[in-house]
This record gives sequence, structure tokens and C-alpha cells, in this order.
Amino acid sequence: MSSNREPGMGSYAGIVIGLMVIVGIEVILTYQHLPVRTLLFSLLCLACVEAFVGIMYLMHVKYESRVLFWTIFPATLFVLAFLNYVWPDAYRMAGMSLGK
Amino acid sequence: MSQSELTVASGHEVLMEASPYALDKKKLGMWIFIVSDACTFGTFLFGYGYMRVGSQNWGTPFEFGTILNGIVMTFVLLASSLTMIAAVRAVKAGEKASANKWLGLTMLLGTVFAILHLREWFKMFAEGWGLFTNPTGGAVQFGACFFSVTGLHLTHVISGVVALLVIMRGYNQGRYDSSHVETAGLYWHFVDLVWMFVFPMMYLMNAH
Repeated sequence: MSSNREPGMGSYAGIVIGLMVIVGIEVILTYQHLPVRTLLFSLLCLACVEAFVGIMYLMHVKYESRVLFWTIFPATLFVLAFLNYVWPDAYRMAGMSLGK
Repeated sequence: MSQSELTVASGHEVLMEASPYALDKKKLGMWIFIVSDACTFGTFLFGYGYMRVGSQNWGTPFEFGTILNGIVMTFVLLASSLTMIAAVRAVKAGEKASANKWLGLTMLLGTVFAILHLREWFKMFAEGWGLFTNPTGGAVQFGACFFSVTGLHLTHVISGVVALLVIMRGYNQGRYDSSHVETAGLYWHFVDLVWMFVFPMMYLMNAH
């Protein structure tokens, strides 16, 4: 069950405003005409920060049992990390398109 | 020996080991769903990345108007997370009128998000975009990726609004309690957080 250490509505409003600020930074970065890889890396990092803050505070994982955190995060990240197996084939396809 | 026999034999009302997660079973069930759904969305986004990397002429078709619409949608969804938290707090405090107000506002914001999203979709359809068509002459996979990923998310938002409506009705009739609202809130925040990946990947990465 959730503990009584939960923050007040003011803190939650601050968290949501902080998330909105990160979205604003993402939009500003988009129009800086950065190289695609740099932009992708920056946007993914900021999205991960947003997700982490959201999971910990809005979804209350910070205030739940630590067992929940250690059950959810490693397993999910493990699965998502293994999805990276697609990239070699994606670059192979890109190479085939160039050859045409 | 069955659970009821054990209960009688022990002389206690309940003879069950406490959950190691110290969580309500509904919330634990929702977390299991969220983990599986996160993997589903992850797969969709990796599929999009795969097609984008594998295409030579992907293009960046979105004008600032589309991005602005996406920013408004993002802010609406983030605001709905705050109203959902207010609803959960009101339900826990037993403030029924306040809970109804915040749940209603959350549903309204979710509906606004869906309307803005559908408006964008129909604008794109009018321009010639489709699952297998790209009016800019770029990769045809763009439409398939965009409409699949955003469509999956939109389905989640609409399902969330319907679920909140059912939960609110049940709560008012006394069938559901605060744990039901809290579990629905968990789902709502998850849908919000998924958008934090969908917006930069599907909109910002395709802005010119």
C-alpha cells in the first residue's frame, strides 16, 4: 500500500510543470537543426527523464515497496534493450536501397 | 487441505502470506499489464525506427502547425495527469463531490486530447496521407508507422476515458472504492508517459 510520505498537490503541480518545461526544451532542440543522431539521442534522453520522473512520482513507485521497482524496471529494460537486435538489418536495408 | 479448511483449522480469519510487493492485488495486476503494454509500445516504436533507418527518402513532412497541435495535446495530457492525482486524493479523503469533479475534468481533458488528435488525422487524410500513401513522394511506410503508433496510443486514451466513466459510475453507486480509482489512475499516468516517447519520436523527429 502507498505510504503516507506522499507529497502535496503543490509538489505534484511542480512535477507536471517540470515535465511541460522538458517538452518545451524538446521543441526548442528540434528547431536547432541538429544532426539527426544528435537530435534523436537528446530527445530520447529527455523522454527517459520524463518517464522516470513520471513513474517514480506520478505512478508512486517511489512510495511503494522497493521490490516492485526491482521487479518492474530490470525486466522491462531487458526486453526493450533486446529489441535493438533490429538495427543491423535496418542498416542492411538502407544499404540495399542505396545500391539500387 | 483447502484454504477454507486451513482457515478453520488455524482458528484465524485469513491464513495467507502477505504479498511481497505490499500492493493491492488490483494495482499489482495493473502493473503487470503496464509492463506488457510498455513492451508493446516499445516494439511499435522500434518497428518505426527500423523502417525509418531502412528507408532512404523518409522526409520530415510536419509543419510547425502540426507540431503546435502536438504541443497542445501534450500539455492537455500532462494536465489530465494532475487532475487524476487530485481525483485519487479526493477519493482517498472520501470527498465524493470533489472526486467526481476531478474525474470529470480528467475525462474532459482526455476527450479534448482525442478530438485534437482526430482533427490532426482528418487533416492529414484530406492532404492525401494514408496507411499506404505519402503525398510528399517520400517513403510510403511513414503513414503506416505514424497512424499505427499514434492510433494505438489514441485507442489507449479513449479506453481510459471509458474506463474512468465506468469507475466513476461504480464509485458513485458504492460498488467501487478508492483502490479502483487509484488503479485507473495508474493506467492513466502510463498512457500519459507513453506519449512522452510518442510525441518526440513521431512528431518532433518528423518536423522540418
